[in-house]
Amino acid sequence: MGVDRYSGLPFVARFRWSVGKIMEKFYRSFAEKKIIAAKCEKCGYTVVPPRQICPQCYSRMGEENFVELSGRGVVESLTEVAFRLDGKGGYIWLEKPELLAAVKLEGANSTIFVRVEGDARIGSEVEPVWAEKTEGKPSDLISFRVVK
Amino acid sequence: MRRVAIIGYAVSRLEWDAEKTREEAVFEVAKGAMRNAGVEREDIDTVISASTDFLDGRTISSCMLIGASGAYLKDESKAEEDGMYAALYAAQRIMSGVHDVALAVSHTHSWIFNPHQVTQYMLEPWFDRQNDLLNEITLAALQARLYMSRSGADETHLAQVCVKNLRNAVKNPNAFRKMPDVTVEEVLESKLYSSPLTELMISPPCDGAAAVVLASEDVAEEFCDEPVWIRGIGNACDRYLRDRDLGRLNSLRIAAERAYRTAGIEDPFRQIDVAEVSERFAHQELMAYEALCFCREGMGKVLIEEGMTEVYGDMPVNPSGGALAGDAVCATGMIRLIEAVKQIRGEAENQVEECRTALAHAQWGLCAQKNLVFILGDRR
Repeated sequence: MGVDRYSGLPFVARFRWSVGKIMEKFYRSFAEKKIIAAKCEKCGYTVVPPRQICPQCYSRMGEENFVELSGRGVVESLTEVAFRLDGKGGYIWLEKPELLAAVKLEGANSTIFVRVEGDARIGSEVEPVWAEKTEGKPSDLISFRVVK
Repeated sequence: MRRVAIIGYAVSRLEWDAEKTREEAVFEVAKGAMRNAGVEREDIDTVISASTDFLDGRTISSCMLIGASGAYLKDESKAEEDGMYAALYAAQRIMSGVHDVALAVSHTHSWIFNPHQVTQYMLEPWFDRQNDLLNEITLAALQARLYMSRSGADETHLAQVCVKNLRNAVKNPNAFRKMPDVTVEEVLESKLYSSPLTELMISPPCDGAAAVVLASEDVAEEFCDEPVWIRGIGNACDRYLRDRDLGRLNSLRIAAERAYRTAGIEDPFRQIDVAEVSERFAHQELMAYEALCFCREGMGKVLIEEGMTEVYGDMPVNPSGGALAGDAVCATGMIRLIEAVKQIRGEAENQVEECRTALAHAQWGLCAQKNLVFILGDRR
């Protein structure tokens, strides 16, 4: 039996999404190569990217909870990734594997998942790699690299 | 609270079959489970299905399946997760006293679209989803490493889980991936996706459907000579990826504690005769041993090394082959539930001797964020 593949519905729904005020500030501060987190006043939990509800004690958080992180962090877990998904369910096998790490940033309780460059191991210290020209966009933060 | 029993079940073959429609698959298992239970369509009060819009590529994934499950004009609802959750909601409806007999159905057809791609849409959209390296597999790899570094388990232990399950699957007529002669070396040398995870450590997406019929204690024995009783249930959902300890299945531990408490289980290793767990990735089975308190923390590797979780071992886990032998995403947990029922009824292909208490586990979400545990028994 032949299988026909359909690329879309007869209509395309273009949703309008807002990242919200908090995430907007987070990305805008990339322009000055800053990483912003939110620190809960009640329980002290610090989450990056910042959120409006504390993931630990459910308190309301806002811009008044913003703290600036040094950007440095420690690799907690690491994987050599051999593929990417192409967005259509297919696998793109990478010529050179890429390193993906779970990183705990200095001063944060939450974990971020980021690309790392260099000879990273569990326990390595890393720092952000910024684009040459930062414009306050997600693409400003390219990856993290090993400091030691 | 009213007791609830599972009185019938049906499972489809796990396969990759573009010719079989979802309607057919659901119809066959719904009908099969009712026949197995000895109930007629008129006896069913409520029908809960489980499937997801994202995996099925259409909104309202139960569309055109209400008929296939005989649910027209009945109390009907859908769970957007594993079928064992459909069984949970069905059981809760019966416990409430509103209904007496329920049908729970689940299905996924993986050939339609790669489920691993869909998992990118489970990520928080503004930061994590912007990272094209993140998906279910790479995150599971990070979880595996975290677990390994805290427990001292290594790649070999992960491979041993695969060898056990893929060999167990050989006797299971419905399994998708069966490898009678597979070795630890073969598992380690299979294609590397994201270290330490190789192809054989990742459950293979496939098509499949499953259904169970549940009944209240007031009517169960009218239909069925040997109802299998739900003796305990526990369910817990952990925080989002960034805010939890990925190296531990804390929500599974909590779910298990709740289920054990209701079922009166104090020493799971001794009191549970068999467990069917949803190990979407090899390391998750070892993590489950610990979260289910079959061993102390960090000792999962010893259970697999010593063969304790083999069919003939002291604590058999996944005699059916588990999810590593075939992952029909929404049906996977429900199939674990059915395999546990089969063990108690003495109908399993890899039958555990004198099996009177069984555990079934389903997971949902990235890195098993959400976990559900049922304890089943041959007595109320």
